Amino acid sequence: MLAQKTLTVASSIFWTWSLRHLVVLFSLCGFINGYSDRDRVQDLMSRYPLIDGHNDLALQLKILHNNHLTQIDLHNVSKMATDITRLQAGHVQAQMFSVYVLCGAQDKDAVRLTLEQIDVIRRMCTEYPDFELVTSAQELKDSEMRRKIACLLSIEGGHSIDSSLPALRMFYQLGVRSMALTHTCNTPWAESSSKRYNVYQRDNHSLTYFGKAVVEEMNRLGMIVDLSHTSWDTAWAVLNHSRAPVIFSHSSSYTICNHSRNVPDWLLHELKRSRGLIMVNFYNKFISCRDEANISHVADHFDHIKKVIGAQSIGIGGDFDGAESFPRGLEDVSKYPALIQELLQRNWTENDLANVLRRNFLRVFEEVERVRDQLRLSPPSEVQISLVEVQNPCRLVLRPPSSRVLPSKESPSSSAQHRPLGLLVIVLLPFILLMIE
Amino acid sequence: MFVLQSRAESWKLLIVCRFTASSLQQTCLNMLAQKTLTVASSIFWTWSLRHLVVLFSLCGFINGYSDRDRVQDLMSRYPLIDGHNDLALQLKILHNNHLTQIDLHNVSKMATDITRLQAGHVQAQMFSVYVLCGAQDKDAVRLTLEQIDVIRRMCTEYPDFELVTSAQELKDSEMRRKIACLLSIEGGHSIDSSLPALRMFYQLGVRSMALTHTCNTPWAESSSKRYNVYQRDNHSLTYFGKAVVEEMNRLGMIVDLSHTSWDTAWAVLNHSRAPVIFSHSSSYTICNHSRNVPDWLLHELKRSRGLIMVNFYNKFISCRDEANISHVADHFDHIKKVIGAQSIGIGGDFDGAESFPRGLEDVSKYPALIQELLQRNWTENDLANVLRRNFLRVFEEVERVFQLQRRITGSTVCLAGKDLSIHRFVISYV
Repeated sequence: MLAQKTLTVASSIFWTWSLRHLVVLFSLCGFINGYSDRDRVQDLMSRYPLIDGHNDLALQLKILHNNHLTQIDLHNVSKMATDITRLQAGHVQAQMFSVYVLCGAQDKDAVRLTLEQIDVIRRMCTEYPDFELVTSAQELKDSEMRRKIACLLSIEGGHSIDSSLPALRMFYQLGVRSMALTHTCNTPWAESSSKRYNVYQRDNHSLTYFGKAVVEEMNRLGMIVDLSHTSWDTAWAVLNHSRAPVIFSHSSSYTICNHSRNVPDWLLHELKRSRGLIMVNFYNKFISCRDEANISHVADHFDHIKKVIGAQSIGIGGDFDGAESFPRGLEDVSKYPALIQELLQRNWTENDLANVLRRNFLRVFEEVERVRDQLRLSPPSEVQISLVEVQNPCRLVLRPPSSRVLPSKESPSSSAQHRPLGLLVIVLLPFILLMIE
Repeated sequence: MFVLQSRAESWKLLIVCRFTASSLQQTCLNMLAQKTLTVASSIFWTWSLRHLVVLFSLCGFINGYSDRDRVQDLMSRYPLIDGHNDLALQLKILHNNHLTQIDLHNVSKMATDITRLQAGHVQAQMFSVYVLCGAQDKDAVRLTLEQIDVIRRMCTEYPDFELVTSAQELKDSEMRRKIACLLSIEGGHSIDSSLPALRMFYQLGVRSMALTHTCNTPWAESSSKRYNVYQRDNHSLTYFGKAVVEEMNRLGMIVDLSHTSWDTAWAVLNHSRAPVIFSHSSSYTICNHSRNVPDWLLHELKRSRGLIMVNFYNKFISCRDEANISHVADHFDHIKKVIGAQSIGIGGDFDGAESFPRGLEDVSKYPALIQELLQRNWTENDLANVLRRNFLRVFEEVERVFQLQRRITGSTVCLAGKDLSIHRFVISYV
């Protein structure tokens, strides 16, 4: 019995010992592999830090802090998915910050509210030395050299311009380099993918004459046209009209998740034809079509889009702080590396990932600027939307002055014409008299 | 005896006498002699008079030429910086901002164009960004952006113009022989009670703002009661109004008191850390219109090292529908007497009003005013100050105040909920 027990104990000790060592060994191997993956991601993202297409930090500043920047420290902010510390941890080198004004402000004070959002982002990006406001592809690249997080301004919704091309130009002057033509409401000249707001519902409305003028002016200025939130008809019309490549700053694949905010394959083909870019959105409802999702679901979108149009047309537009729920493992802006790791494990090449992280966006931005340079001799557009089309009760209507009351002078100018003649006579009189002599 | 009007007639008489009958010859000759004497003396006087007339005309001509010459010379060395011009408003009213449809070198129906600005020796012009008071609480902000856009376009598309946003750029533009454009908002209703909007207008190049036009804002008072809005007690400059002034000081934007009520002007003069201006207002003592500035307020202005830029509109100059250069010069004389020539500038208000004095109908006529002032013994030094140097001094001091306050971050003062209009979208989050 003793011998049997000793044998049993000895063998169990041996197996436990082996098992333990095997576990340790495999853990080590697993650890080495995992460490290697994470290492690879860190290395890759250090060389090609992310340019993200859409972030709603400014909206949260408005909602939670009423734009009182002085009351918070943007290095570490609770209740938000975005702050400087986490952006740096997530290797975000450039962020398109969304200038967003609620659709309810359309036909009210959308323009003023837009100026306020532009102001808060500009302040944020100039008051914090970690940030740098950029307005060109070159400045974006320079900011990487300086190890800054580049801020780009991007308007989310054409209702911000109140159907005014001069307003669009002035927003460009203030640094805005991208605009989504609609948010969740139609404008008088373009259509949203959402029917949430019952405004400007019209036939043949996907992109009106004025809408085309908006796109042309954006091309002329060098402002990126963003099709996220627009209806598919509007997107298709824009893709056929724009001379510069366009983007979806935060939309995902309709085939993987059939939400109207996502992009169907046929539209992806149009996008590719126009050398555009789709920047994938992480919001659960667009990723898994449910209230929850995980990184694998997100990676499925990338895989599918790569299969349809290739990795040269893909980017990342997380939509952090602009939606309510994000996938497990991708809860905030520090988690981008986890997604890149998943893609690496799905055999995405480093070249593909470098394109997705950064180079595709730069290519598009530079081409938009080239189109601007080609159009530099075109004069600013003077197209104005008709009152019938805009239907805004908040617009002041100027009536032309009546013919009786001219806005400029009347008789003073005519008497001024006689004056020089009289002077002439007086001047010449002595000469006349002398001649008589 | 009739008086001969000319020698020709005396010659005719001689010929007649020669051919009359001898019996009448003596009488004829007597008549001739008398007539000749009369003719001779009248000829003498006419001749003298004629020469005297010629002499005096020549003298007058030489003097007039000399004055005009002096004016041209003076204004070439100190070309005008004018405080207020409404060309952009006319572009809106007459052309709907369609710049491509006109040539700004020569424009009919307006008092302002490039050719006449150059003739008037205007080297810098504050162009008014003006939106009708009826747009307050509606789309004033958008319309303001549109007026800023049209002026920016005008000043960048025409090589005769140059958009400037600092005193240094203004001086540089003179070297380059350009007409400098400055942007100046006319009415606080343009900012829709939003300090961020004010900041963004500054970013777009606006360097001056009149706190009101002919309507009160929720935070300041106009001199006019034309629009029955925001009529309140203790309203000349509210807490928010003070915040506006402070933010303008911090940004380096000139505060303009034309169109504000005297109470508002007084409150601002006591609150602003930088000198302020009246971009287009004249003297209340000379013409008692509520848009003009009374002597006591002029003293406050002087104390604050500010500037009053005289408006030429007839109703502010003579208090009547017509006026002349002399009336305008009276304003200058009076203000100089009260606070000195260092506090005076010119803000013609061309294209912003209906009637201007005889001789000052458009922007080419400024030299006529300077000539009048010269004849009233204004020194060239005084005139150089009025034309240009006073404004530069004020602008530079406003910039110095901005430099001193640069470390202060942007103000986040907001208007209280009760002051909001119905056209504001009020966000409420659960």
